[in-house]
Amino acid sequence: MLSNKRVIESPSSSEAEQSSAKENTVKRVKKNSPVKAEKDEKVKEKKIHPMFLPKQQISQDKEDKRLVREEVAATASSKSNASSKTNNFNDTITFAQLADTFTNIESTSKRLEIADHLTQFYKHVILTKPAELLMTVYLSLNRLCPDYEGLELGIGEGLLIKAIVESTGRTTAKVKEDFKKAGDLGTVAQLARKNQPTMFKAKGLNVPSVFKNLKEIATASGNQSQTKKIGIIMKMLTNCDSSTNEAKFLIRLLEGKLRIGLAERTVVVSLAHAIVLSRDEKATKEDLEKGVEVVKQVYSELPSYDMIVPALLDGGINDLQERCHLTPGIPLKPMLAKPTKAVSEVLDRFEGKSFTCEYKYDGERAQIHYHDGKVKVFSRNSEDMSNKYPDLVEQLPRAIKPGVKNFVIDSEAVAFDKQTKNILPFQELTRRKRKDVKVEDITVKVHIFAFDLLYFNDKPLLHEDLTYRRKLLSENFVQVEDEFAMAKSMEAQSTEEIGVFLEESVRDSCEGLMVKLNLGESAWYTPSKRSMNWLKLKKDYLAGAGDSLDLVVIGGYHGKGKRTNVYGAYLLACYDEDSESYQSICKIGTGFSEEMLEQHYKLLNPLEITVPKSYYKLGTAKPDVFFEPQAVWEVLTADLSLSPVYTAASGEISERGISLRFPRFIRVRDDKGAEDATTSDQVADMYRNQASAQQKATKADIDDDAY
Amino acid sequence: MLEARMSEAGTLKKVLDAVRDLISDANWECNEDGISLQAMDNSHVALVTVHLSQDAFEPYRCDRNMPLGINLGSLTKVIKCAKDNDLVTLKADDSGESLGLTFESSNTDRIGEYSIKLLDIDQEHLGIPTTQYDSVISMPSAEFQRICRDLSQLGESIRVEASKEGIRFSVEGDVGKASVLLKQSSGRGIEREEESEEEEEEEEEEDDDEDVKPNVDDEDNDDVKPKDKKRKSAKGGNKKKKAKKAKKEVVEDGVSISLQQQVSLTFSLKYLNNFTRSTPLSSRVTLSLSKDIPLLLEYEFGAGHIKYFLAPKIGDEDAE
Repeated sequence: MLSNKRVIESPSSSEAEQSSAKENTVKRVKKNSPVKAEKDEKVKEKKIHPMFLPKQQISQDKEDKRLVREEVAATASSKSNASSKTNNFNDTITFAQLADTFTNIESTSKRLEIADHLTQFYKHVILTKPAELLMTVYLSLNRLCPDYEGLELGIGEGLLIKAIVESTGRTTAKVKEDFKKAGDLGTVAQLARKNQPTMFKAKGLNVPSVFKNLKEIATASGNQSQTKKIGIIMKMLTNCDSSTNEAKFLIRLLEGKLRIGLAERTVVVSLAHAIVLSRDEKATKEDLEKGVEVVKQVYSELPSYDMIVPALLDGGINDLQERCHLTPGIPLKPMLAKPTKAVSEVLDRFEGKSFTCEYKYDGERAQIHYHDGKVKVFSRNSEDMSNKYPDLVEQLPRAIKPGVKNFVIDSEAVAFDKQTKNILPFQELTRRKRKDVKVEDITVKVHIFAFDLLYFNDKPLLHEDLTYRRKLLSENFVQVEDEFAMAKSMEAQSTEEIGVFLEESVRDSCEGLMVKLNLGESAWYTPSKRSMNWLKLKKDYLAGAGDSLDLVVIGGYHGKGKRTNVYGAYLLACYDEDSESYQSICKIGTGFSEEMLEQHYKLLNPLEITVPKSYYKLGTAKPDVFFEPQAVWEVLTADLSLSPVYTAASGEISERGISLRFPRFIRVRDDKGAEDATTSDQVADMYRNQASAQQKATKADIDDDAY
Repeated sequence: MLEARMSEAGTLKKVLDAVRDLISDANWECNEDGISLQAMDNSHVALVTVHLSQDAFEPYRCDRNMPLGINLGSLTKVIKCAKDNDLVTLKADDSGESLGLTFESSNTDRIGEYSIKLLDIDQEHLGIPTTQYDSVISMPSAEFQRICRDLSQLGESIRVEASKEGIRFSVEGDVGKASVLLKQSSGRGIEREEESEEEEEEEEEEDDDEDVKPNVDDEDNDDVKPKDKKRKSAKGGNKKKKAKKAKKEVVEDGVSISLQQQVSLTFSLKYLNNFTRSTPLSSRVTLSLSKDIPLLLEYEFGAGHIKYFLAPKIGDEDAE
């Protein structure tokens, strides 16, 4: 749609040029009419204020030539996306086009439609300006670089409000008021921009410059950095064309909250489709599906668009797997385990197969990469933790046998008391400082328990049996007392044996057991999948208390009586990856000591917001206050039930959502971000499991929730 | 090479005060006509032009056109070192590296010499066409300043409506709304008609003002009368001439409106308040309005003029 505009506008300016000589006519780009009928447009075009001309005059020549070229281009490849062809693409992908795509995506909740919009857009980028595909992908993910590089924008609402105020001449109070009403700064900025146009028609933004500016903002540091940041933001805001949605999505990107219901897996699907279609317009459904599979698989091994996108552009789908594979230095998402509630359940699943039980240590997942003599440690979220664990980086080489060039180990980092030789609770580890830790200041030692080897001496091992991987691991690494060991394991066959081993693990301060298949394809390492081939057996679950979930605190209820001045109860939510929303799941008020309530109040009070975020699906729950989605709590529940009030996983089982019965607070999960909370898919799974357990029926296999 | 000498540093101070909040860096273009500046503010919503005519300087010498890229903040700091009635001499050689300022006190033998490093500012010159506006209003600058200041207490946008009735400024906010009507001066100087529907304090304030105002106006009335009549008779004739005339009538207190067509536009008060920093430079201000095009606000003073352009706000109502 927006495409027509430019084309119509350019001749219009020349028309006005002529007329301005005779009579001083007037123009203002009417906000309501970029897409109106041509006649209508013509009438308005006469009203081009000569004031707007100087700039256009200069670019007039260029513009005309551009149009000619574009027409040629348009006829040459008339098949695809005719609407956007006419725009001036010889330059760059405009930000307005991206914003348009975002608008389309936001307006629907159907995943197929979303993927389709995005595929069309990506395809268009690939065909016209392939060099900008990577930036486009990053912008649609609201990221600047791979996760592990940890580059974040770090812009507060205050700064954005200031920029909006200064670039549109509004008052801070008014903008804040509008923000409260709308709940979204993007919309506020868009309206402000629309209501207060600039003297000359803004040129609009383009994808490369936005991306570059965002990166500049993220890397700005030092005492003048705030001023610098606001300068960049204002410059971009002034250049936003008010007839498009640029301002809205620019601000949302800056906030780091795009929130258009675009999940990363959809981006991956669209990327794969776009690549396939751009090479073969008539690609079959099978081709597309195969493409998606390949890209997903490669991305799970090498989660870096920096590498995948150029490789895709260069060689397409076919040789992607050869070009991109697991590489030390680039963290992959760890493989996850399905929770089970009874030893018998383990045997139900693994009966007759060879499997291994190993201790599930109560620590932090640590993926250790070693290459070129350097050690890097990544968290389960692929954050670089090397600075957090300098001692680990130092002590690890002692465990490596000679002849080892490079490797990737999956392990658990555990807090360890050297004197007593005891494993300390996980909390001891989180109490360590996160930044600028010096080796000599460390009191709590880190002990590594390695349990998997993913890459060894230039060879990815993901598609090898667990037995082989473990063999390599034990052959090439040595135990170092108090520092490095293999996770304790055993091969068990009977319920009794597993039971005994489980009790032993709990005595050794572990959370429980991990049970893994040994042989065959089901024993491969599948990154980011919560696989049926790995089961976790937690002591908590065995206590008969039910499931434990990690939930986000999104709302609070004012306390009464003893709990006056603190929150008396909280509203919790799970995360729905598909719609990027938080779905309410239960109200929780038990399991807190007075001291805890006090602490939670202190932590949560600053996060208080008066209006729920647009991406909170509350159902009919009505908490007194809402919070920014930040705090994640582990909560134990006796039972899951369908609820008319809450929205968790609604649509999965029935129209009603799922709620927790007798939820109990266990602990704060500050190692998890809000988006790492238990997902609604998992909640639905739990409900299904429970239902089938109740019916004493054999459990239906549930699809893995992978990309 | 530029050499220009101005008899009063005060004028320069006032000019800087009038623009420095709007723009931080700008090129002063020097040519044989004088020194001028044109720049958009940061947000590109407003544009300001300043012109200091060569007549204002004695002597004035400018061999070739040259831009002086200056940080207005720094220039203000330097100018503040001069007393209002000091003689100022601006000097710049062709190297374009710095601008020299000399302040000579008229009654003592003090001579201060300053120099500011010049910046290389990349700025495109925007041609501003002459436009025939739907309505041109000339009014006392202090009155305009007061209206903007008063009304900004109530809201962020001001609606300016020019009609046969006069010129009406109105604002709406959470607290209430207000409007000020200035009638075309005929017999009396200014007829101010204020309506206000706000709560308590505001109301009282306005009332007090009303009591005082007419008295003040009456004093000047007699002088104004004949001129006003003249202007009216000239109304039908050439517009440009008329406008010039209005500017030449120096100290007067009336409001004159020349109306081709009714106009109603909305502007951000924040910018207007910023523009009224020019008030000390001139007792009159001219507002030129046309539908859908930027407002022109013009302050003429002995040494030159300052013009502000401001893009009107649009669609406030249906947006909300």
